[in-house]
Amino acid sequence: MYIFQCEDSIDGIFTGIYDAFASHYGHKNIRLSTNSHEDMCLFSEYISVRTDIDKSQKVGRTLFKRFGIDFYETICKCALADGSFKKLSMDKANAIYQTIVMAFALPEAEKVLNFLGEPCIACLFELCRQTNNEGHHYLGFLRFFELENGLLFAKIAPKNNVLPILAEHFTNRLPLENFMIYDETHKLAIIHKAGKDYLTVDASELDLTLTRQYSANEENYQKLFKTFFHSIAIEARKNPKLQSQNIPKRFWANTVELADCQ
Amino acid sequence: MITKSATTFITTSATSPALHFSKDLMEKLAILSDAAKYDVACTSSGVNRKGDGNGMGNSLACGICHSFSADGRCISLLKILYTNECIFNCSYCQNNCESDIPRATFTPEEVCTLTMEFYRRNYIEGLFLSSGIIVSPNYTMDLIYQTLYRLRNVYHFQGYIHVKAIPGADPLLIEKAGFLADRMSINLELPTADALRKLAPCKSRHTILKPMRQIQNSIIQNKNELSLYQNTSRKGTNNRFSLTEQSRFVPAGQSTQMIIGATPENDFQIMSVAEGLYQNFSLKRVFYSAFVNTTHNTNLPVLSGGPPLLREHRLYQADWLLRYYHFTISELLSEDRPNFNIYLDPKCDWALRHLEYFPVEINRADYKTLLRVPGIGAKSASRIVKARRGSRLDFPDLKKIGVVLKRALYFITCSGKMMYPTRLDEDYICRNLLSDYTQIPRELREEGYRQLSLFDDVNFGGDSNVYLSMRG
Repeated sequence: MYIFQCEDSIDGIFTGIYDAFASHYGHKNIRLSTNSHEDMCLFSEYISVRTDIDKSQKVGRTLFKRFGIDFYETICKCALADGSFKKLSMDKANAIYQTIVMAFALPEAEKVLNFLGEPCIACLFELCRQTNNEGHHYLGFLRFFELENGLLFAKIAPKNNVLPILAEHFTNRLPLENFMIYDETHKLAIIHKAGKDYLTVDASELDLTLTRQYSANEENYQKLFKTFFHSIAIEARKNPKLQSQNIPKRFWANTVELADCQ
Repeated sequence: MITKSATTFITTSATSPALHFSKDLMEKLAILSDAAKYDVACTSSGVNRKGDGNGMGNSLACGICHSFSADGRCISLLKILYTNECIFNCSYCQNNCESDIPRATFTPEEVCTLTMEFYRRNYIEGLFLSSGIIVSPNYTMDLIYQTLYRLRNVYHFQGYIHVKAIPGADPLLIEKAGFLADRMSINLELPTADALRKLAPCKSRHTILKPMRQIQNSIIQNKNELSLYQNTSRKGTNNRFSLTEQSRFVPAGQSTQMIIGATPENDFQIMSVAEGLYQNFSLKRVFYSAFVNTTHNTNLPVLSGGPPLLREHRLYQADWLLRYYHFTISELLSEDRPNFNIYLDPKCDWALRHLEYFPVEINRADYKTLLRVPGIGAKSASRIVKARRGSRLDFPDLKKIGVVLKRALYFITCSGKMMYPTRLDEDYICRNLLSDYTQIPRELREEGYRQLSLFDDVNFGGDSNVYLSMRG
């Protein structure tokens, strides 16, 4: 068995796939892994993959051209998911690899994603759903704070890397605003300038004190929204359990209205 | 990925001008959102619209929930009344002209500022604007229209707008508002005309159904005109898209709401009305609102157990069965069994009374048959149909697909085998389903639920039918 160990990112996984195909070891003898701390097995050869943008882009283009946008998007969303949780039956990168191998072997490749009876597809589906769900949650639960200079700043702490989903959405929604979304977990941020497309930047050295200098009106609008939030609830129907089921508590800290209710 | 210092981005952005902010806005918002809270139609779904780059906002057909209030209900839209100064005297409504409450009225400018500022901070998905009747229905509808006009054309807001059509308002005003809104609704308020006459003497079936019909006709007419326009100008100019976008009439369809539990109608009557509305008025949604007694009017019942939430829940479940699961009301209820079972959801209840359709073979049954199995929803049914083309499905696969096996296992086979050796027997399945504590509705659990015996004649919810005693 040859095990390709790749970086946990879209580019890392795609490079791993490129190297695995190029190695000609035979698909049955290859496994991909994003976990560099896994228990090593005897009689296996470990190959560490160096992330290469060119290789990754080649793989991305091929997937897009051969299997269509839906397939490509599903694979990307799966690659963005947090693959470290224990219940998962298969490594994220390996599930993607096996799915692609299967897609190449089938005459109707787009339909391969429907075959949920296959372990790798089931795993892919699960991960993709995880990213989609969290992404969709954040479309609603994300809050912008207006800073002194009119910039809108939002902080999120997602398990999966949902920034690309949020970036697309908010760039279309707020085209004339300057805004920034900061992902605390992955230390990434997207920045958007009015009228332009967004950029993804490394935010490991972001000065967070700057992001607490709110504009003059910001606190007023926060108060207004809190007023609205409290008066819209019906006392006779009070149901805190349902509330925290619908908006899980891990989202509360970064909202305006629930931050002090924790 | 392009690396650029995120910190520089923050420090170099241009400053924005300070916005006007009035002090009593807070008070108004508190009064007018409190006054709107019993309206339940707070969804932002039904229309996909991309922003055109020149304003603010877009819309997603699936809808987005932005928060959840203490009662667990979704906050999606800025749900407010334009005014709570009302000349009508509906006895169930806290804003009626006889009640002694603080009154307030927004200005169009205030509603626009609130919507825009909340929207840009991503607090809300859009605006839900309803109103008490100030001066006259026409006067009110005109104020609403002016607000929407300002929001769409001065502030260039492209997010979701749900607006109420005021019963009795001029059809022309409703028509004009419909071209600015995504969804319109007129509340049916009460399921029967008699109840309406008794509790809302200023409203009548006629003034409610007439605008409903008008909106339905306008939606159909608008769709036909747009498709004609698109066909004739297929090779046409670049502005085709924007022109169609602006001239769409109520693209997300219309909805309505009924108050449940204020009048003595049974579930069969309520659901028959809902079914009629879906079929004859092409409504997108009918909402059910458990009655909360706020006015303590002598016309109204006193509900000792709080609002009838479980009943409301069952009505919604049945509503889903109508819209997505190809059920008809006559299959679920009848004159002899006019109310839903409070222990089991309507689909389970139906399945138990029609065991002749079961067990269903997962690898062969068609989509519509799969939909009728308790524990299989619309999504899992379509996933099953697609997945079994690749390989035979077994129970662990079903679990991954999203089927709720603890309900479905009594009704299905995979390659001819059941999951456990179970009997296809009504009492047996019912007992097993209810032996799982989590399958009992919360309201019943909290009321001191005890293990059911088949021979008990317990009656928990007043005159609602208890499953076991009913089948006697």
